[in-house]
Amino acid sequence: MKKRMTINIVEQKFASFFREQRRMPTYSEMLPLLGIKAKSAAEYWIKKLLDKGTLEKDAKGFLKPAHLSFNLPLVGNVAAGFPSPAEEELRDTISFDEYLINNSTASFVLSVTGDSMIDEGIKEKDLVIVERGREPKNGDIILAEVDGNWTMKYFYKKGKKITLEAANPKYPPIIPKEELQIAGVITAVVRKYHK
Amino acid sequence: MSDQLFSLHSWPRAIAHIDGDAFFTSCEEAIHPELKGKALITGGERGIVACASYPAKKLGIKRGVPLHEARRICPGLIILPSDYETYSLFSRRMFCIMQRFTPDVEEYSIDEAFADITGMRRALRSSYEEIVVKMKKEIETELGITVSVGLSITKVLAKAASKHQKPAGITIIRGRDIADYLRNLPVEKVWGIGNATTNYLAKMGIHFALEFAQLPEKKVRDKFTKPGVEIWQELRGESVYPVTTEEKSSYASISKTKTFVPPTSNAEYLFAHLMRNIESACIKARRYSLAPNRIGIFLKKNNFNTVGNEAKLSRPCAFPLEISGIIHDLFASCYCLKDIYRSTGVVLLDLEPDTNIQYSLFDDPIKAEKIKELYNVADELGKKFGKHALHLGSSHPIDKLGKGRRGTPTIREQTQLKGETQRRHLGLPLLHVKP
Repeated sequence: MKKRMTINIVEQKFASFFREQRRMPTYSEMLPLLGIKAKSAAEYWIKKLLDKGTLEKDAKGFLKPAHLSFNLPLVGNVAAGFPSPAEEELRDTISFDEYLINNSTASFVLSVTGDSMIDEGIKEKDLVIVERGREPKNGDIILAEVDGNWTMKYFYKKGKKITLEAANPKYPPIIPKEELQIAGVITAVVRKYHK
Repeated sequence: MSDQLFSLHSWPRAIAHIDGDAFFTSCEEAIHPELKGKALITGGERGIVACASYPAKKLGIKRGVPLHEARRICPGLIILPSDYETYSLFSRRMFCIMQRFTPDVEEYSIDEAFADITGMRRALRSSYEEIVVKMKKEIETELGITVSVGLSITKVLAKAASKHQKPAGITIIRGRDIADYLRNLPVEKVWGIGNATTNYLAKMGIHFALEFAQLPEKKVRDKFTKPGVEIWQELRGESVYPVTTEEKSSYASISKTKTFVPPTSNAEYLFAHLMRNIESACIKARRYSLAPNRIGIFLKKNNFNTVGNEAKLSRPCAFPLEISGIIHDLFASCYCLKDIYRSTGVVLLDLEPDTNIQYSLFDDPIKAEKIKELYNVADELGKKFGKHALHLGSSHPIDKLGKGRRGTPTIREQTQLKGETQRRHLGLPLLHVKP
């Protein structure tokens, strides 16, 4: 028997596609994804999701998940009464490991020393996840060796000029003179309060 | 004719061999970037060099050199204790990255692996050469270590290729080019050819791999045993050793050794180490549901001479409590009060599945069953509280007197993050830089 489509099931299918592919499906990919034959049916569901606020259209009219729709580990919406275990089963959960770590073979842990990123909320003894081999973007926090010293700073690049800025007014921005060796990009911060 | 063509086809198979360059020290350099490019070694806790960085190797410090010797060669040498926890994390990551390219990855040792990439050209839209270049690049950028890569059509050739250019080299031996690479390769450098075979080959006037590979088949089959014939085939480009991905599930023998410093002649302490070796080996045997028929022990003296003895058991048994008497007798037969020893070891031999073990006439089955139950409990306790949570009194002096390690514990052992315990650490390597 054909399973009845509900908006929740459609949402989960989009979410799992997005988690795997990290992009939205095209209309032709929606057909096998939703098990439908006509693109107009896809259109129908898209409209429902747009109305519900799960999806949004960007400036160019491309579909994108609305703010944080698919990124957090989803557990079934707890309805009043007994939650259906089946629904929980359908929704995919991710572990904190997966949530915090993007590339597990390239990620290292660093225990923070110093207060240069204090205004970013990174304190001494916090653990940061450093991902090696990732190209830093403007505003990323990077771990780097500058002229022989190790430092953790915001990374800014304008043209060819690279500036490293602290999140603490005590420290002036650094412009690497001799050498800049980027060890990795900080992808997450972890602070644990209790054992 | 020396330009012999062993294989007309360039890639009947494509097997890559990846070998970490000075793996242990490279891992240390990756997490302690300030050590990069320095003369450094690991193995501080063993009293001998376990791995030397390239700058140290250049000075003549090789694996197995005693520490005092290494210090004499290079007074500023950085000596680190082995941090196997970190090395295995790096090792696992290296295999993981290789598995992105092919499911057929054989983890040969902590720092070496084979990958069979035959048939992956279309799926990865690259040539075999491009695949290994990419594999190497991803390992190096993500882990911060360098590896040497060999690509060829058999495992023996791939391994020879990865050795050809070290460190950080890529060597590709196509089927057509085999002879060129084997011409200057001494036979003793070929994987699987040991001392005995090298000497035997020398008697036949063979010193280089090419000469061996060019022997006629009949002669090879007459003069060599099966392993010899297989190496001959592999050198000629006929792949006989498959890349096996399964984890080891059976063992022919299990051995456990421990070197301790300072060396000692204290009988109680030595026997405690031996009993701890037996307990460790038996834990492993029981994990694979195996039990040995024979047991061997050895004691290594400070001058690296070894004495040993072995005994046959009346029935297969992997419970130290039952074996301890035999170990005691074996120990007494080897130990000499005036000698100083640096390590002890045991080997469990003739392993067989521990199901359906027949009691002999002189066994006490009720007692034996009780001991079996006891070890079921001991194994459960081990899972919960760490190996050797429950151990024999005779191995207890180790916990009392210490394991006898030299120098400081590793930095990883000294660092305990909030929520970590002595036994359980976060499964990610820790970077040690102070920004």
